[in-house]
Amino acid sequence: MSYMSDLSQSNEYLSFRSSIPLRKIVVDSDGSKAWRIFDSGPKSVRCPLICLPPVSGTADVFFLQVMGLASRGVRVIAAEPPPYWNMKEWIDGFKRLIDYLELDRIHIYGASLGGFMAQKFAELTRNCPRVASLVLCNTFTDTSVFEYNDSSALFWLLPSLVLKRMLMGNFTTDKVDKRIAESIDFMVERLESLNQSELASRLTLNCSPCYIQPHLLNNMPITIMDVWDESALSSRVREDLYKSYPQAKLAHLKSGGNFPYLSRSDEVNLHLLIHLRQFDGTELSSSYLSLVPQPKSGNNSEQATVSYFNQRDKFVKIS
Amino acid sequence: MASRKKVLLKVIILGDSGVGKTSLMNQFVNKKFSNQYKATIGADFLTKEVIVDDRIVTMQIWDTAGQERFQSLGMAFFRGADCCVLVFDVTAPNTFKSLESWRDEFLIQASPRDPDNFPFVILGNKVDLENRGVSAKRAQQWCQSKNDLPYFETSAKEAVNVELAFQTIARNALAQETEAELYNEFPDQIKLNANDNARNRDGDNCAC
Repeated sequence: MSYMSDLSQSNEYLSFRSSIPLRKIVVDSDGSKAWRIFDSGPKSVRCPLICLPPVSGTADVFFLQVMGLASRGVRVIAAEPPPYWNMKEWIDGFKRLIDYLELDRIHIYGASLGGFMAQKFAELTRNCPRVASLVLCNTFTDTSVFEYNDSSALFWLLPSLVLKRMLMGNFTTDKVDKRIAESIDFMVERLESLNQSELASRLTLNCSPCYIQPHLLNNMPITIMDVWDESALSSRVREDLYKSYPQAKLAHLKSGGNFPYLSRSDEVNLHLLIHLRQFDGTELSSSYLSLVPQPKSGNNSEQATVSYFNQRDKFVKIS
Repeated sequence: MASRKKVLLKVIILGDSGVGKTSLMNQFVNKKFSNQYKATIGADFLTKEVIVDDRIVTMQIWDTAGQERFQSLGMAFFRGADCCVLVFDVTAPNTFKSLESWRDEFLIQASPRDPDNFPFVILGNKVDLENRGVSAKRAQQWCQSKNDLPYFETSAKEAVNVELAFQTIARNALAQETEAELYNEFPDQIKLNANDNARNRDGDNCAC
């Protein structure tokens, strides 16, 4: 593997790759299909956060979440599916992966296609719930937004060069700051590493006619994370998502481009921590540490005056 | 600048613990007040859409724990802040005295482009209580000495001035955001091809 971009050469990335192994897990009868995952552990946490990448992403696009949240005790699993050509295959495969990893419930952070699949998975497993909560990043509820519904049936026979060009069209590179530019470079490298069947299958899932029924998820804790600069999704698509989940917490980012988990990882991690904090101390906790340190006694009484200069536990530190 | 573009304003509320930061935010966003005091743990935020001068803007209001140390919040927390709201309790003079350090600390951590003109809004909360410890005059004097910061006397409990204060916060934040955008605007791209063309044309001229 020869990744040359700045992010791939960064100390964070190198340290990530040298400390967490890439595991390949076969859960289908077809032995050539393997999920690729990075699992930050520890195994004692049975409700981890699973990160699902967009069409052009591999599991390692979430390395900054894995590294950043692991330091808070959160078990993060970045997972990348093998080529699945339809919804049912994907859902069944993901279910088997969760069983294989012996997880009770999962929190999902899904980006773009990953967010769509996360919603679909939560919807289809609602009678026997596997999903504890969702964080949806730059995602959608209906594949018709991509206007490829008719041609998606033919993606399987297009050469990978054509498929890559379809995706690259969305990677705007003009007028972006350094961190966004780095995130794009990183994603382009990952896109280049995908083969034809991986790309074609993901694009087929992304564009085949399908939609979410959000009312079936109205009891699910959801955070919607989106970026307000000129990203690939229009503001209409973002508004649709807000309307679909009126109960959701809205974590808007001012800027960050299409890949905020790379370009704005500190803000993304802060929002992920705030989202996961609500499960602290329950069986759905994603961390073996408390994400909410207990305030020291004395702060609870109404009369207490506390100097703000005193040394306190660090509540929202992102390293 | 396209006026159609949706605007996100990031507002940060700071002040000593127990002055009513969370209550003010809840009163403004949810129109609710509870007498029960519950210390805020960690940082959290609420979003609300408001209309400022015929523009729809979304306010992302960050509430903090009064006893929080700044360093623990991290850069992500302060990045892109458009307005900082400093709150004190009009019945507790020491919370008023702290304003200065909150302001200084914010400027250090957020390091805005133009610290002298960064929009702060000062709120003296709990005016519904009898036992005042900080007079309106004293508070106003301090605000004037700090480059004429807007000052409001509020009551989160009785919803006094809360709406008005947040309108001002939104308006000042919007002005700040618009200015920040101006600075962020990248210079026009330098077209290398265009230069090449020019040179070729020169070349053509010479050949004549």
